[in-house]
Amino acid sequence: MNTLIQANDLTKRFGTRLAVDHISLSVGEGEVFGLLGHNGAGKSTTIDLLLGLKSPDSGTSTIFSLDPRKHRKDVFSQVGVQLQSTSYQNNITVRECCEEMAALYREPADYEELLSQFGLFEFQNKKVETLSGGERQRLSVALALLPDPKVIFLDELTTGLDTVARREVWRTLLQLKKKGVSMFLTSHYMDEVEVLCDRILILDHGKEVVMDTVDNIIDKSPYKRLEEAYLWYMGEEVIA
Amino acid sequence: MSTFLKVFKVEAKLGMRCIDSVFFGVIMPAGVFLLIAALCGSKPAYDGSSYTMLEASFGALITVGICATAFMGIPLTIADYRDKKILKHFFVTPTSPLLLLGSHFVLQVLLSICSAGIIFLLASICYGYRIKGSVVLFLLSYFFVMVAMYSLGMAIASVCKTVKATNVVCTVVYFPMLFLSGATIPYEVFPTPLQKIAEFLPLTQGIKLLKESSLGIPVGNLTLAIIVLASSCHGKIRISLGIKTLI
Repeated sequence: MNTLIQANDLTKRFGTRLAVDHISLSVGEGEVFGLLGHNGAGKSTTIDLLLGLKSPDSGTSTIFSLDPRKHRKDVFSQVGVQLQSTSYQNNITVRECCEEMAALYREPADYEELLSQFGLFEFQNKKVETLSGGERQRLSVALALLPDPKVIFLDELTTGLDTVARREVWRTLLQLKKKGVSMFLTSHYMDEVEVLCDRILILDHGKEVVMDTVDNIIDKSPYKRLEEAYLWYMGEEVIA
Repeated sequence: MSTFLKVFKVEAKLGMRCIDSVFFGVIMPAGVFLLIAALCGSKPAYDGSSYTMLEASFGALITVGICATAFMGIPLTIADYRDKKILKHFFVTPTSPLLLLGSHFVLQVLLSICSAGIIFLLASICYGYRIKGSVVLFLLSYFFVMVAMYSLGMAIASVCKTVKATNVVCTVVYFPMLFLSGATIPYEVFPTPLQKIAEFLPLTQGIKLLKESSLGIPVGNLTLAIIVLASSCHGKIRISLGIKTLI
């Protein structure tokens, strides 16, 4: 399996606080990798470091064996990104949003096709701010797929969505997984992680607690479900 | 169509949907010009002046469009896009946030030129106004003022961390400049002490340059004007710092 994302000993400090503490990981082709941890555990900072949006204090990271800060064009023409709580320009319509994003890539996917695939075709002339939470998140995924990416980064994609909307998003992501698209995602929902992820890394205060396949992580704990196993690894009380 | 044009097309549509910049940048200065022209356009600018109030106001009012875009359009859009992580999102595409900022910059430049153009057309068609001085010098002064004001606006956008802070700072800079520099209320009607205070506003110097170049009278204190304006251009180095703080 080809390694698409590789991080070695990444460390990032904000003042005296270590936000990311010597993290190493790799994500292979077609793999779905989940990053878990409490709020403020360093998940978004790790994503920012992997994408080259922040410079690490030490350590290195590559996507397709390239440094994303030095080879932005080569890397980001094949990477889709949905950043945490992204908003859109005031008054922009779904179609304009797609047109603008598609303009940034040399060979973008057909956005009308993507919109139909995500059930958003009839909303093309609607303003993005009038879409429901689920529709807006589906739009985020559709936009992340515009470069026809080999890897997509999804930061807390389903936070704030209701159960139905979350499952709609899962269905889409599972279809992508079938197509062999690699994914790097962060989530607070263990059921979601169990359904989607092949391997996970649990972070606590920027440090690795455990990294393994979902099954192994559950097996190594005294529990049968990921949610309880997660709490056990984090040293929290598990209410059975 | 190039990437820039496609992005520009979308951003221009969004810009036009938000009426403030069109109102404050284009409609308002044209309205103030017509008002001054109707009330006291043919009167001398001050006792013993060789030019009329209308001629004096022309050079002043064409800067309102520059200021509206420099202190509202550009900084507020940048701050808003930074808050919404739209600029950050451009960093994870094969292009750069500069593409988005560039398209906004061009849009605002076009708006202010459009504002100045409308005032010029109104003045020349309705009141037979003609630029008496050197047109080249006048145009150079116009773009010099534009660069200076845009630099200040960009500096504000890059230093302020939130939309709210940007809004407050822009208001504090924009309104005194609009009223005290002679852009809307003719500088000539101010009492001398107020004129002395206004001397320190970059826009006052810019308007003096524009007035003098359009009226064809010798530029009074050119060194002071250039120093004050160039020091506001200096804010431009903030842009490079600002790009760093955008994400």
